[in-house]
Amino acid sequence: MKKRQGSILFKVLVYTVCIFLAILSLMPFVIMIINSTRSTYEIQQQAISLVPSGYFMSNLEVLLGKTFDPVKGFLNSIIISVSATACTVYFSSLTAYALVAYTWKLRDTFFTVIMCVMMIPTQVISIGFYQLMYKVGMTNNFLALILPAIAAPTTVFFMRQFMLASFPMELLDSARIDGSGEFHTFNAIALPIMKPAMATQGIFSFVASWNDLFLPSILLTDNSKYTMPIMVSLLRGDIYKTEYGAIYLGLLLTVLPILIVYFMLSKYIIAGVALGGVKG
Amino acid sequence: MNRRKSFSYAKYGYLFSIPFIVAFILFKLYPTIYTAVLGFTDCKGLGNTNWNFLVDEPFKNYITILNNPSFQTSLKNTVELWIMNFIPQITLALILTAWFTSRRNKIRGQGFFKVVFYMPNIITAASVAILFNALFAYPKGPVNDILMSAGVLDEAFYFINNKTATRAIVAFIQFWMWYGNTMIILISGVLGINPEIFEAAEVDGASDVQIFFHITLPNLRTILLYVLITSMIGGLNMYDIPKLFSLGGPDNATLTTNVFIYNQAFSGSYMYNRASAASMIMFLIIAVLSALLFLVMRDKDEIKRKKEQKAFAKAQRALAKGAN
Amino acid sequence: MKKLLALLLALVMCLSLVACGGTDAPAEEPAEEPAAEEPAEEPAEEPAEEPAEEPAEESGKTVINLWAFTDEVPKMVQKYLELNPEFAEKYEVKETIIATTDGAYQPALDQALAAGGEDAPDIYCAEAAFILKYSQGDASAFAAPYDDLGIDTAAAIEAADIAQYSVDIGTRPSDGKVVGLGYQATGGAFIYRRSIAKDVWGTDDPAVVAEKIGAGSGDWEQFYAAAAELKEKGYGIISGDGDLWHAVENSSESGWIVDGELTIDAKREAFLDLSKELKDKGYHNDTQDWQDAWFADMKGEGEQGILGFFGPAWLINYTLAPNCGGTAVGEGTYGDWAICEPPVGFFWGGTWLLANKDSDVKEAVGEIIEWITLDCTETGLQYLWANGTIYGAGGTKDCVASGTVMAMSDGSVEFLGGQNMFDIFVPANQFANGKCLTQYDESINTYWRDQVRQYTAGEKTRDEAIQAFKQQVADNLDVVVNFD
Repeated sequence: MKKRQGSILFKVLVYTVCIFLAILSLMPFVIMIINSTRSTYEIQQQAISLVPSGYFMSNLEVLLGKTFDPVKGFLNSIIISVSATACTVYFSSLTAYALVAYTWKLRDTFFTVIMCVMMIPTQVISIGFYQLMYKVGMTNNFLALILPAIAAPTTVFFMRQFMLASFPMELLDSARIDGSGEFHTFNAIALPIMKPAMATQGIFSFVASWNDLFLPSILLTDNSKYTMPIMVSLLRGDIYKTEYGAIYLGLLLTVLPILIVYFMLSKYIIAGVALGGVKG
Repeated sequence: MNRRKSFSYAKYGYLFSIPFIVAFILFKLYPTIYTAVLGFTDCKGLGNTNWNFLVDEPFKNYITILNNPSFQTSLKNTVELWIMNFIPQITLALILTAWFTSRRNKIRGQGFFKVVFYMPNIITAASVAILFNALFAYPKGPVNDILMSAGVLDEAFYFINNKTATRAIVAFIQFWMWYGNTMIILISGVLGINPEIFEAAEVDGASDVQIFFHITLPNLRTILLYVLITSMIGGLNMYDIPKLFSLGGPDNATLTTNVFIYNQAFSGSYMYNRASAASMIMFLIIAVLSALLFLVMRDKDEIKRKKEQKAFAKAQRALAKGAN
Repeated sequence: MKKLLALLLALVMCLSLVACGGTDAPAEEPAEEPAAEEPAEEPAEEPAEEPAEEPAEESGKTVINLWAFTDEVPKMVQKYLELNPEFAEKYEVKETIIATTDGAYQPALDQALAAGGEDAPDIYCAEAAFILKYSQGDASAFAAPYDDLGIDTAAAIEAADIAQYSVDIGTRPSDGKVVGLGYQATGGAFIYRRSIAKDVWGTDDPAVVAEKIGAGSGDWEQFYAAAAELKEKGYGIISGDGDLWHAVENSSESGWIVDGELTIDAKREAFLDLSKELKDKGYHNDTQDWQDAWFADMKGEGEQGILGFFGPAWLINYTLAPNCGGTAVGEGTYGDWAICEPPVGFFWGGTWLLANKDSDVKEAVGEIIEWITLDCTETGLQYLWANGTIYGAGGTKDCVASGTVMAMSDGSVEFLGGQNMFDIFVPANQFANGKCLTQYDESINTYWRDQVRQYTAGEKTRDEAIQAFKQQVADNLDVVVNFD
C-alpha cells in the first residue's frame, strides 16, 4: 500500500516537472508561429502575444518580395547541411572506428591532437579559415562549407566514447573469421550497430550546419548561393524598416526542416536500439 | 585482446584516419597555426600584410592581455556563468535520464518529452536572444507585466540593466538550451549499456536507485567524460548568448572571454595579435582542465572495461542459473 | 505511440500555420511571385550554376559588382538599368547583400576589397555607423575619388547643393578628395504631437513650439524648462534618453578620439546629467529605442503621453508612421504630428556609396554613382526618392542630400497634418555636423550608453561610470586613454 502511494507521488512529481519543462521548450515555437501571423506593427507594439492575427499572407508577400529567392535559399541550405552532416557522421564513425578497433602506434597521439583541436576558441580560428578560403578561391563554393565537416573532433570524440562503452569487439573477430574485408566490416557490421549514436550526432551536426550564419555569410557572397539563415538575417539587417512579421515567418520556415529531420531521427532518441542487444 | 594488437591490422588504423587527417590539416590545423603565430607579432589594423615578429619581447601580447582588467573580468565571468548553468544542467539531465530509462517505472509519454526537451537547441542563438529580450523588456514587457499584476513588483524592473539579473538570465538561457542535448547524450549512453547487466541486477533484486548509482552511472563513465569535457569546452567558449542577448553588458557583467576576444579583433581596432594571444591563453587553460578531467576519469576507463566484462560474466552466470 | 505523438506535434504546428494563413487570404501557391517580379533574375541564375568563376561571359556583358547591407541600393541600381536600356545592354550588375546585424558585412567586405580580382566590389555601401572606416579610416585607401570616376565632383556638389555634413563625412583627409556621398539627408528635427502641444501651450504652431523647446539655442536649458511645464500637465517630453543621445552625439565639439586619444567632449559628458535629470524628474518613460515601450509611445499608449521624438525624415516614414496606430487622419496619432527645429543640429543614420579604386569599370560605376548621389534632375534618383515616386506614385517621401532637389520637391505629408517637412529638414541638414565621427563610434557609443544607464539607474556614481567607461575603451580598443 505504502509503496503504491510513493509511486503515485513519484509520478505526480515526474509529470509536473516534465510538463513544465515541455511548456518552456515549446514556448518559442508557439511564439514564432503566432508572430508569423501578426503584422510588424502588432509585434512592435507587443512583442509577445498568444493571440494569432491575420497577416500571414502579407508577411509571406514581404518575404517573397525581397531581392532574394527563399526557395533557392532553402535548396542551398539543404545541399550544404545534408552533405555536411553525411560527411561528419560517416567520417567521424570511420575515424572513431580506427581509434577503437585497431591498435596502432600513433593512436594516442592522434587522439590527443583531436582533443586539442576541440579546445581552441572558435572565434579567432574563423579569421584564418576565411582568409585561407579567399586565398584558394573557394568563396561562393559550397565545398568550403561541406569538406571541413569531415574533420569534426567533437563527433569523433563522442563516437569513440560510445564505442568504448558499448561496441562488441567479438563481432569483428567473427566477421574476420567469415573472411570479411576490414572496410566491408566497418560498413556492413560496425555502422549499423552505431545507428543510435549516428542519429544523435546527425541531429546535432545538421542543426549546427543549418543554423550556421557567420561563415556562410562571409564565404557566400553571390546571392544565388545564399542560405536560409542568411536571408533571414538580411531581413533583420534592414535596420530602418525592420519587417518583424516576415522575420518571424522566415525564422519559422528556417526551423521547420530541422524539425522534420529531427522527428525523423528521433525514433533513436525515443526507443533507441540498444547496442549490446545485438550481441544476443 | 592480443588479436587486436597484431601488427597486420594496425595499418587500417592509419588508413581509416586519412580522410580526417587530410581535412583536419587543411581546414583546422592551418588556421590554428595561423592564429597562434599572430599572437607573437605586431599584426593589427585592417588588411595589414606588413607585420613583424616581436623579437625583443615575444610574449608582449600575452602580458598585455593578462594585465588587461577586462580580460580578468571576462575570465571570472566565463567560469561563473559556466558553473551557474552547468551544475543545474547536468543535475536535471541526469535526473531525467534516470526517470526515462527506468525499466520498472515506465513514464508514459516519455518519447514526447524526450523529443520536446531538445527543441530549444534547434533554434538559433540569435532568435533566442530576440525572444528573451522581448520577454524581459523594460518598462513594458511580458515578465514585468506578470510580476506586476501578481503583486511581486510595484514598478517595472530593469532586468537587462541589472548585473545579477542579466547574469542569471544568461545562465538560465544556456541551461535551457542545453539540458535537452545533455539528456539525449546520456540516454543514448544508457541505451548503449548491455541490457543483460540490468537484467542481472534486477534478478538480484536491486532497487531503481541502486541500479542507477551502481550500474548506470559507472557504465556511463565514458559518456559522462564526453559530456563533462564538451560542456566545459563549450562553456569556456561561451559566446552567442552573451554577445547577442546582452552585448557582454551591463557593465561587463556578461563579458565572456570569447566576447572579449571578438571585441579585440573586430570592435574597431582589429588587434588580431592580441585576440590571438587571448585565444591561446584560453586554449592553455582549457587544455589543462581537460587533461585534469582525463586524469581523474581515464584510469577508470580500463578498470571499467574489466568491470564490465566481469559484470557480463556474472550476468551470464546468472542467466545460466536462471535457465537451470 | 511515442513516435506518433512527435509526428502529431509536427502536424499540429504545420496545420496551425495553414489555418492562420487561411484567415487572411486564400492559401495560394506563391512560388511564382518572385519570378514574375524579377524576370531578369531567374534566367541568369540557371547557367551561372555550374561555372561560377565565369561572370556570365556568354551574355557579353561587363559585370559590375555591387556590395550593400540592405536591398535599398541594389533596388535603385535595378531601377537605373530599367531607365537606361542602352546601359543595361552593356553592363550587368551582380549584387552582394550581407546584413550588418551579425557583424558579417564588414569582415566580408574588407576581405573582398583586400583580395581584389574579378569578384572584388566595384561599388560598395557604408552605413553611418561605419562609413568613417571606409572614407577616412583604415579602409579609406581602397576608395576611388569621385573625380576618377569621370565626375566633376566639386561642380556637381555645388550645383546639387549637397548637405555639407554628408560631404565632410565622405571626404578623405589624406588627399582632401570626395570618395563617398549619400543620397539621403538625415539631418534631424523635433517631431512632436500637435494635441499635446495644444493642451500645454494652447497652440500647435511649429514656430511657437520651436521657441518653447529652445530651437537653435545650442543648449538644453530651454528644453528642460519645457519638460517641466509638460510634467505639470502629466506629459513626458521624450520617450527615453536614447532619443536625446542622437542629438547630443552629433552636436558635440569633438568626437571620441582626438589625435589618437580618448576625449570626452563636455557636451557628451553632460549627457550623463541630462539623462539623470530626465529619469529623476520623470520627464520620459524610460524606454529604450527599438523596444516595445518606445514604439508604444508613438501611439500615445505609454505610461504618460510623450510630446515627441528627435529624428530625421526616415524616422517619420519608417518608424513613426507605421507605429502610430492608424493609416489615415483621425486614426491613432496619424495626422497629429508636426516638426520643428531641434535645440541643436544633428543627423542620424544614412548610407554612403563608395567606388573601388581598382575597378575596371570606373566609367560605368561613375554613371551609377552620379545618378544616385549627384543628379538633380527630375529623372535623377534623388528627385524620385524625395517625392516617393521611384516605385510608382504614392511611395514614402524622404529627405535627400541635394538641396536643389529638395527645393523642387514637395514634402507635404498627411501624417504631419499637411505640413511640408522639407521646410524644416532643409535647414536641419545644413545644421548637421559630420566632423565629430570616428571609426570606433559604434563600439565606444555602446560602452558609453551602458555606463550612462548604470549611472542613471543609481548603480554607480558619476565618477565611477566615467572611469569604467575609460577602462572599457582602453581594454578593447587601440586608443590612448588618459586616466587622471
